[in-house]
Amino acid sequence: MAVFGCVTVAVTSCSKHDANSPGVEYMPDMYRSPSLETNSFSIVANADGSFDTIETNRLPVAGTIARGFMPFPYANTPEGYELAKLNAHNPLERNDMNTKQGEELYGKYCVHCHGATGEGDGLVGGKLPGPPPPYTAPDKINMTEGELFHIIAYGKGLMGPHSSLLTADERWKLVLYVQHLQHPDGMPAPVADSVAAKEVKVKEKSKKGK
Amino acid sequence: MDTLCTKSQKQIPVIFSFLFLSIIFSINSVSAQDGAKLFKQNCAVCHSLGTNKLTGPGLAGIASRAPGDAWLMKWIKNNNEVIKSGDAYATKILAENNGAQMTVFADLKDEELKAIVAYIKAPPVEVKPVVTNADGGGAAPEEKGVNPLAILIGVIAFLIIIVGVLRGVSHSLKNLQREKSGLEEIEQVGVWRELKIWMGTHKRTMALIVLFVLGGVLSATWDALMGIGVYEGYHPSQPIAFSHKIHAGDNAINCQYCHSGVEKGKTAGIPTVNVCMNCHKGISKGPSGEKGTAEIAKIYAAAGWDPDKGAYTKPQRPIIWTKVHNLPDFVFFSHAQHVKVGKQDCANCHGDVKTMTTVQQVSPLTMGWCIDCHRKTEVPGMKDNPYYESLHAKLKEKFKNLPKEEQVITVAKMGGIECGKCHY
Repeated sequence: MAVFGCVTVAVTSCSKHDANSPGVEYMPDMYRSPSLETNSFSIVANADGSFDTIETNRLPVAGTIARGFMPFPYANTPEGYELAKLNAHNPLERNDMNTKQGEELYGKYCVHCHGATGEGDGLVGGKLPGPPPPYTAPDKINMTEGELFHIIAYGKGLMGPHSSLLTADERWKLVLYVQHLQHPDGMPAPVADSVAAKEVKVKEKSKKGK
Repeated sequence: MDTLCTKSQKQIPVIFSFLFLSIIFSINSVSAQDGAKLFKQNCAVCHSLGTNKLTGPGLAGIASRAPGDAWLMKWIKNNNEVIKSGDAYATKILAENNGAQMTVFADLKDEELKAIVAYIKAPPVEVKPVVTNADGGGAAPEEKGVNPLAILIGVIAFLIIIVGVLRGVSHSLKNLQREKSGLEEIEQVGVWRELKIWMGTHKRTMALIVLFVLGGVLSATWDALMGIGVYEGYHPSQPIAFSHKIHAGDNAINCQYCHSGVEKGKTAGIPTVNVCMNCHKGISKGPSGEKGTAEIAKIYAAAGWDPDKGAYTKPQRPIIWTKVHNLPDFVFFSHAQHVKVGKQDCANCHGDVKTMTTVQQVSPLTMGWCIDCHRKTEVPGMKDNPYYESLHAKLKEKFKNLPKEEQVITVAKMGGIECGKCHY
């Protein structure tokens, strides 16, 4: 009985008083993985006997591309923006399913700044130095899909890049939904687009001619 | 027809007067106050009124730098044209900002431009918010809690003393009585001996008491041993005092904005600093007082962000967060499976994180807890997904002979409690 008492006191007294200690651990080698887990840190020994703490989340080796990943060919520069504006096109079909999925994504990734209707009245948007401009502002309403995609991927003004959060497919779905918010009664005929595309084609031809 | 005509004719003066009034109002209202509003709507996304650079340069001291009001108005309306005209100051600031051009505001009217220029030249002096003061005083002094163990020990000691005193009193009273009736005084018996005598005469009660105490000790020991490796209630402090209450609660940011891996992979993921910076590039002050500002400065230090220059120029260093929810290495768990297919809400396992200042583990994360849920839960994503149609039909067929309430196709019925599902 005395032994049990001692065990009870010993086990109960040293657990969960310190918020920073998870408590008594049973066979720690089964909890702490020797293989590297996501978002963790690992201590590695160097050749000279010193130790380094390394993150397990690493960037891909320079010059390599992750499997299934398609790089966006337009750079994060004003020139890249202009090129994407004219040349980047949505590979997804504009249909209810894609727009609906875009809406779901919008509710997770955009709504807190841009607001539910894209007016820029989100809760976080109001706390920024300036709220995001409404999607239907005269200079925003006719943005091309390439422009919207470039902005989601790289950011613009106070908006940060979202390419680490969203795959290219998801970004295109968001483009569909943002355009749906801008033109709830259906997209206008893509006059500007075709003119711009023609211009680019002419430019390319003239370049080839040179 | 007649009535219609008269109606519309009646309306004409009304419409005119309304138009006239609105014109008067619109002329009157483009004032300094509107300058502030216009600035917030159009400019504040990229420019601060201080010296710090956001996306564009800070506008403090603009009056002494820029060539004049007319130039500023022209620049704001269409900076493209000013640059094209070969203006010297325009080329200079374009070079200073690495060739990044400002947005063109062709729709702004002259009065509006005037109001904006007037506002940025003489912005109102920022009044220090009273909130910080109230907050400084509002921080309630920490309550000095008395250790409950100390109280218990105190009470026990007090009772022992009282019992001792009462025993002495009763003994002397007894002797007084004996003296009165002419009997001999009796010696006081020690507590221990008296107890032994009592135990000898009450054997059955004693056996019951021993059983009771032994049972209590055993069950306490069992509970304590079962608690080993169960981290329910674990709430460690983090390198940055990030509050889920402020982010997910007050600002209603969706969990997935930061934990974006939850539908795609095994782990929900801890956001990298660039995700923090998506908002904190613009928000450098906490909602209440100095603490938030100091904590946000830690993000800047990790990201290498220089808030004055508005650029990532400093060395970066990773934030080493403390993991709260940890599953043993020998069990496989995928967030994608539970959130995307199982359509489980984050709160089902993680509790009401929206109200937590420091995240606390609310579920035991034991195997019994997992299996309990697998036995009760249907898979909502399966019913509507054509991919599972034939499987769902087969399962329905398989369990059709069971009583009605057991026909629900739970995770367990699909093999969700097979050992190899999670342990391999």
